[in-house]
Amino acid sequence: MTSKTDTTCKIFSFQDYKSSPDPIFEIAAECLQPSPVPIIIDNGSFQTRAGWACKGGEIGAPRLLFKSVAARSRGAARSETQIGNDISNLEPVRWLLKSQFDRNVVVNFEIQELMFDYIFSHLGVVTEGSVEHPIVLTEAPCNPLHSRQMMSELLFECYRVPHVSYGVDCLYSLYYNNALSNLTPLHTGIVLSSGYHCSHILPVINGRLDAGNCKRVNVGGSQAASYLQRLLQLKYPGHLAAVTLSRMEELLHEHSYTATDYHQELEKWRSVEFYEQEVHRMQLPFSAKGLGGVVSVEERQERRTQQLRRLQEINARRREEKLQQDQERLDKLLTVQELLEDGYLEQFHKNLVQLNMDSAEELQSYINKLSLVVEQGRQRLLQVIIGAKISLCQASEMEQPMDEGDGVTEMDPDFSEENTEIEKPVQPVFNMAEYHQLFVGTERLRVSEILFQPSLIGEDQMGMMETLQYVLARYTPEQQEALARNVFLTGGNLQYPGMKERIERELLAMRPFQSHFQVMMASRPAVDAWYGARDWALENSPGGAGWISRQDYEEKGGEYLSEHCASNVFIPMKIAKPVPRPAETLLVPITTMTAASPDSVSASPSTVLAPTQT
Amino acid sequence: SKLVDLASYHFLSFPHLSSPHSSLFFSLQHSGIGGAAAGKKNRTWKNLKQILAVERTLPWKINDPNYYSIDAPPSLKPAKKYSDISGLPANYTDPQTKLRFTSSEEFSFLRLLPTDAVTGYLALRKATCIVP
Repeated sequence: MTSKTDTTCKIFSFQDYKSSPDPIFEIAAECLQPSPVPIIIDNGSFQTRAGWACKGGEIGAPRLLFKSVAARSRGAARSETQIGNDISNLEPVRWLLKSQFDRNVVVNFEIQELMFDYIFSHLGVVTEGSVEHPIVLTEAPCNPLHSRQMMSELLFECYRVPHVSYGVDCLYSLYYNNALSNLTPLHTGIVLSSGYHCSHILPVINGRLDAGNCKRVNVGGSQAASYLQRLLQLKYPGHLAAVTLSRMEELLHEHSYTATDYHQELEKWRSVEFYEQEVHRMQLPFSAKGLGGVVSVEERQERRTQQLRRLQEINARRREEKLQQDQERLDKLLTVQELLEDGYLEQFHKNLVQLNMDSAEELQSYINKLSLVVEQGRQRLLQVIIGAKISLCQASEMEQPMDEGDGVTEMDPDFSEENTEIEKPVQPVFNMAEYHQLFVGTERLRVSEILFQPSLIGEDQMGMMETLQYVLARYTPEQQEALARNVFLTGGNLQYPGMKERIERELLAMRPFQSHFQVMMASRPAVDAWYGARDWALENSPGGAGWISRQDYEEKGGEYLSEHCASNVFIPMKIAKPVPRPAETLLVPITTMTAASPDSVSASPSTVLAPTQT
Repeated sequence: SKLVDLASYHFLSFPHLSSPHSSLFFSLQHSGIGGAAAGKKNRTWKNLKQILAVERTLPWKINDPNYYSIDAPPSLKPAKKYSDISGLPANYTDPQTKLRFTSSEEFSFLRLLPTDAVTGYLALRKATCIVP
């Protein structure tokens, strides 16, 4: 291993973070008196954040931050599901992981219920049969009515929550950051938010979301992670198993960046010196088995020896059996001979006939032959045993150095010298350390680019900035100016270094010459939504505007939304109630539509149409 | 605030609960909507496509925002081409494998790739041909 590369090149190793289980907090007195304090839940498709709506310090921060995944193997009881931080390492259970989300909308309410159970029990809510605290929950922009209906049903009927409020996470983040920078709440701006599954462009006019002009691009952190994973797996087919999604997420969080000018930056990567300097070499732990093509020769030889051994064993077993049979036969013949010697002539003759022999001499010759064969067989057996013992001794000597090799977890640059001790068939000398390194070069740049050019992953949607241009074009020039003055960036997927500069540069390209614009990044793009929701809850007490009470739910249905400054827009539209479950009291499904037409009613498959219609 | 140990949480706070795995005590309590717990276990949930299909049938007006109407439209600009291997801007496409490359070294590397790697690179940008 040459030493020059050690000084200038960047070698990193995967941290492979393990999460530790969340403790069960005890509920603080201030959360119960004078009235139950709202619980704020930022329900994200990547991470769920939950906590109390209190001011200050430890209790004013989200108590629970965990990945929105549940691991349940098939056939396992419901109580054996592991949620969030209970799973220390995601990789072994990757195939069992389920999330309540499909893209950014909640569809699986069983898992959502498990999440709520987890949240409530870990926050210390101990009341049986109901949760006394109002809940603030985030939902997707323009959340489908069905999803909201199911969520309201879950909260009001299962948990008997007194009040619920729904809001959009990006808008809560905007609310929080406006308060931080003392902007008027009724301001105009445009929110660019990028999450795990999709990114949104949300214009806000006079403090209220202009929902008709919102747009969503279906590219987010999960697409970036799987893109990176496939890129590296194609580049390093030998390390297929080592390139896991968790490690990809680590690469995204810590080793990727966004270019201010993509083509210019790529040109820089053409030069070898730049490459050598900037490539991030991810050191994988050493594994003896993962030696790809080189081992195939060895493997073949091993397989051959194993086959030989197997054949030998089979032959040996056959010989032993034959030997035993011969031995038995010999014994039999000997007893017959004894009969003759002892003088039992008739029995002797009977046995002779049985054995198909004519005379005593024949018997004798047979006995002689058999005894010879038996002797030979025994000799061979002894030889085999001795030979096996010798080979065993040799093999045990062999295994010693191999064990030490397997024990090395971190690759040392010096290992290539130790390597030659272990006997291997003829192969070219190669750098063991470098073989176990993943070179992440232009990939660092390409993954965040998919947000701006979805064609990199084959999506034909517009990228984020092109969509922004499209959205702005739907407004008058004065409105465009007002919107561009307050571009707000939020969301975990916008945390790449260099993202803000890139967006500023693209805005400069698309806005008219010498017009003003300003880009502001959220203070903590990933968690600000939770803080915004908390501040909203502190300023708007339950029962007021923006909250849905139990009565509202029962009168207006689950899809009802009470609008507020950070919520979706509600278009009143009754949808069919879900099929009533057998154990419940009979509920005639209400299928009133604003434009009553039998065709549209029959088209919705979720209703059980009763003949009695209202 | 004090952190309470899981075991004591079970036995001190809920002496009346008999089952050991009562960290999910809610699932036992809201057996209230008793059928709900059982119903939820076995029912199949609609996925997003099905939900959206139902939602499309509702009587929306032209400018009403809903989940599928806020999908961004397809791009108006032609896509830029990048090399499948290095990511640098690609000027050339291999007619045999349809992979893009920037230089002759990349080309020779391309030609030596096994077919599964070739399909992998094409699948990455959704350019695999379905027609046999």
